Amino acid sequence: MAHPRVDAIVEQARAAVAAAQSSSELEAVRVGVLGRQGSLTQLLRSLGSLAPEERPLVGAAANEAKRALEGLLDARLAAASEAERQADRSRRRLDLTLPGRRPPKGSFHPLTRVHDEIVAIFAGLGFSVAEGPEIETDYHNFEALNIPRDHPARDMQDTFYLSESTLLRTHTSPVQIRAMLAQKPPVRIIVPGKVYRRDVVDMTHSPMFHQVEGLAVDHGITMADLKGTLELFAREMFGPRSRIRFRPSFFPFTEPSAEVDVVCFLCHGDGCRLCKEGGWLEILGCGMVHPRVLENVGYDPEELTGWAFGMGIERIAMLKYGIDDLRLFFENDLRFLEQFA
Amino acid sequence: MKIPYGWVREFVDLRLTASQAADRLVNAGIEVASVTPLAPDLKGVIVGEIEAIERELGRGHAGHPLLLCRVSTGRDRYSVVCGAPNTRVGVRAAFAPPGAVLPGGQRIAAAKIHGVESQGMLCSERELGIGEEHEAGLLEVRDARPGADLVATLGLDDHVLEVEITPNRPDCLSVLGIARELAALTGARLRPPQIALKESGASARSLARVRIEAADLCHRFTARVISGVTLGSSPAWLRARLRAIGLRPISNVVDATNYVLWELGQPLHAYDYEAVADATIVVRRARADERFTTLDGQERVLDASMLLIADPRRAIGLAGVMGGANTEVTDRTTRVLLESAWFAPASIRRTSRALGLRTDAAYRFERGADVEGLVAASARAAALIAELAGGTIARGVVDAYPRKRKPEHVRLRMSRVKRVLGVAPSAAQARKVLTGLGLPVKPRGADLEVTVPSFRRDLSIEDDLVEEIIRVWGYDRIPSTLPGGAISLVTHPAALRQGQTVRRALVGAGLAEVVTYAFTDPARAELLRRSVDPKPVELMNPLAQDASLLRVNPLEGVLSAVATNVRRQQVDVRVFEVGKTYRWGNGDTGTTEPRWVAIALTGARSGPGWAGAPEPVDVYDAKGLAEHTLDALAVRASTGEAGVLSGFEPDCHGTLVAESGAIVAEFGEVAAALRESFGIPTPVFAAVVSLDAVGAAVAAPMRYQALPRFPAVERDLAFVIGGDQTLTAARIESALREEAGPLLRRLVLFDVFRFPDGRTSLAWRLLFQAEDRTLTDAEVNAIQERVVRRVTETFHITLRSG
Repeated sequence: MAHPRVDAIVEQARAAVAAAQSSSELEAVRVGVLGRQGSLTQLLRSLGSLAPEERPLVGAAANEAKRALEGLLDARLAAASEAERQADRSRRRLDLTLPGRRPPKGSFHPLTRVHDEIVAIFAGLGFSVAEGPEIETDYHNFEALNIPRDHPARDMQDTFYLSESTLLRTHTSPVQIRAMLAQKPPVRIIVPGKVYRRDVVDMTHSPMFHQVEGLAVDHGITMADLKGTLELFAREMFGPRSRIRFRPSFFPFTEPSAEVDVVCFLCHGDGCRLCKEGGWLEILGCGMVHPRVLENVGYDPEELTGWAFGMGIERIAMLKYGIDDLRLFFENDLRFLEQFA
Repeated sequence: MKIPYGWVREFVDLRLTASQAADRLVNAGIEVASVTPLAPDLKGVIVGEIEAIERELGRGHAGHPLLLCRVSTGRDRYSVVCGAPNTRVGVRAAFAPPGAVLPGGQRIAAAKIHGVESQGMLCSERELGIGEEHEAGLLEVRDARPGADLVATLGLDDHVLEVEITPNRPDCLSVLGIARELAALTGARLRPPQIALKESGASARSLARVRIEAADLCHRFTARVISGVTLGSSPAWLRARLRAIGLRPISNVVDATNYVLWELGQPLHAYDYEAVADATIVVRRARADERFTTLDGQERVLDASMLLIADPRRAIGLAGVMGGANTEVTDRTTRVLLESAWFAPASIRRTSRALGLRTDAAYRFERGADVEGLVAASARAAALIAELAGGTIARGVVDAYPRKRKPEHVRLRMSRVKRVLGVAPSAAQARKVLTGLGLPVKPRGADLEVTVPSFRRDLSIEDDLVEEIIRVWGYDRIPSTLPGGAISLVTHPAALRQGQTVRRALVGAGLAEVVTYAFTDPARAELLRRSVDPKPVELMNPLAQDASLLRVNPLEGVLSAVATNVRRQQVDVRVFEVGKTYRWGNGDTGTTEPRWVAIALTGARSGPGWAGAPEPVDVYDAKGLAEHTLDALAVRASTGEAGVLSGFEPDCHGTLVAESGAIVAEFGEVAAALRESFGIPTPVFAAVVSLDAVGAAVAAPMRYQALPRFPAVERDLAFVIGGDQTLTAARIESALREEAGPLLRRLVLFDVFRFPDGRTSLAWRLLFQAEDRTLTDAEVNAIQERVVRRVTETFHITLRSG
């Protein structure tokens, strides 16, 4: 099914396609033949002016030619484009080993990382966060916690004083008092924050550091609940193989009191340099809230029991990240900080 | 406190090594910091007796004669050259024969001295590494058998436990206390020291009198008198033991009191009887500004809260802290008055701290001595003095005991044990534990009643006994459970959430978070302080003068971090801190603690890279980060007037203001004087966001707006501002917005160009869009013309063409 008028256009178009050197030349051919003003389009548009007996012949031939040319052009265009992309790539000679363009990298302070982790673990166990001032009264920091004036227990925490009755808090425990005075039981809080002791800076001491305090007061709460809770914490913080042990200790605001060790996570208890061959690492102090402390906030120790714990965030961070010098936290050398990005 | 394990075993039969005993103590709450052998590197040193001195070989280096001695070790005889001053026939002393090893691995061999072979070495304390004594000469061991092992003879084949006793357990501040604890833990029998007291002659009451005038501070005072003593040095075993516990031997009488202090925990003091006027002791308060010279030779100024031991004429001792120089025992002392007393802990603590005089005696009194045990301690010391220094002990004891201790009883409900611990032993088991601790127990129905002995002042309430039971029964018996109770909503304070939001935003923007000290230097505070500012909060007892204030300016922390890094060749620094400053204020602490985010930048905006030269940071980076922070907190803010914080360059200091008009952030270039005080040579740009002000500002609620359905039209407009005009971009922008009306959907300043002649070109891209139709060119052109006319006429500036 051919028609001389169509054949002429097709022949011309095929010659042009064959002669085209690039995708843009092919595109020009497409426009010249199939475009709005293209020769074949014009022919189809002029069908109406033909003799009625010629119309179907020319029409059928033109439509067939259009399909054929479209197919030809598409194929040639695809091939030409691909060839051009290849040529372009080889011309650009991309060196993909060049570093990528990265956005600048920020870093959370390692103490923030550990802080957030501790808060998240205890939030999961139903503990809300409470906060309190860093400048405290002697009453909240000591007296209400069963540490009277002129008591040797005050030697356990060397204190910065602002006046006779105000000081920089030596632990986060005064927030226990503030929280219990402010709310009715049950209480289930953790208290992160800065604390201060009059210690000269060295590898293991700092006049400012961070603690997290925990407090739970309710009907029927026991030391066994404390142990179970801290066991969960240790497994979340230090890995599922972590075990803890309680050792008796003394804090004026808890009775009984305990130090808590976690099994060394480097040697799993066999003894190594980290745990000084002991197999255990001390991580926190805790105990049952002293009845006198409950009385001081107007809770009835016959009705309610509670427990509290306190841990140093630096201590946990040092153990977790293998940091051997406390000063690094407060020097803020970028080469240190960037390791926690 | 150093506790020789061999000494402990004198009072309790233990089949444990020192390390095992230490483990048991640790598990019962007595911290043991270390277990160390007493004489670690001494081998083969024995007791030798100088049988004869054969001849003198000349002078040694200290000027003493060098003597050739014949030394017998019972079985063998050696020729030994010795130049010590106490080289005499009959002396038994430490002897290192050939083959013995001295500290430092020094192996003894026969050697030629002055042409004579010396077969070994007679040794001083220092040469043996067991003391400082050297000038006095050989270490004499009078009663020892020649040939006996020296280490065993001196009790040096022992381990010392370094125990750390918590303040609630003064009863453990002694060898007997540790022995009692170990007896309770192992079930072994406790054998307190046997006191063989031979009294004779006049009664103590006829020789001395005691009057207590301050019975509130001194509940009991006893005195004994020992006559006919001869002061001298203590025997080797006692000297060795004192050294093992870290005390310096002084004289037999003083050593005896120190020995008993360590053994039984009761501080004692020996006065020269003849120096005490009328042989009368008066226990009274000091007078204001009374002066007194303690036996360390220091004159002390006292006050009326301090307790003195006096005679009718003058003070003779600072009660419970230190004796007086005026009644110290000396070489001439022949009669001793021995004090054993009980003083009120708080008073001793106050006195000791006020005078800066921390002594072993004060340490024990301030924790609480045993008011009933002090008589036995006195007897023990008297017997020891008589044994070491000769003399006779007067009959009886002068005992002033105006406030006799009443026995205290504490009731223990077994149900309480379970309620506190979640687990409980049987009542029989509990009773066994308490009895083992030396606590008399009687059953009272299902409960127990404990009579608290005078040495356990820490036991006053039921839960104290709960702890005693679990401590001995074993903390590892406490099971692990989880608390029950009602579920309640977990809530975090707004401040905590705010801090977390800010941190995430700024870390995401490529900044490093820092944490810095709250202390500051008064010199720097003065640099930052303006006349209107209140005084900074000051510490009464700072660690150092340059850390004696609490910081007032939020920039100090981040600047210190910048300084550290710049000093360490890290010149591109982008850091932030979420922190506080401290001011006088209201509330129960009389202070407030404003919360801030501080940002500091110096050096290049990004590290070096291949994509282009790094550009230095400028004030717009600081401003942008402040805006970014506020965005993260959903606070809308616009540029405001000059700021109020000090520490910025006055001509490069701006603010961001919330819709309420409150300043929520300040930014700018850090004042050169401030950064130079930190030693930072490069410009620093900083921003401070007040988290308190932000917290008060209402965060815009999140609401969805429908996406535009019709195409937008963009137009760019550039205006040229004359070099002499003071006109800000913000003013032009607000005029643009106002005139353009609601069809202006977005306005972006995209180009700032300064001509060499001082004029500035500012170019904005305006995006117009309607919600209900496609805008026509004509509509947009009309708005554009209005806008251009408004801006050019209002500000007298021109539209930049082409």
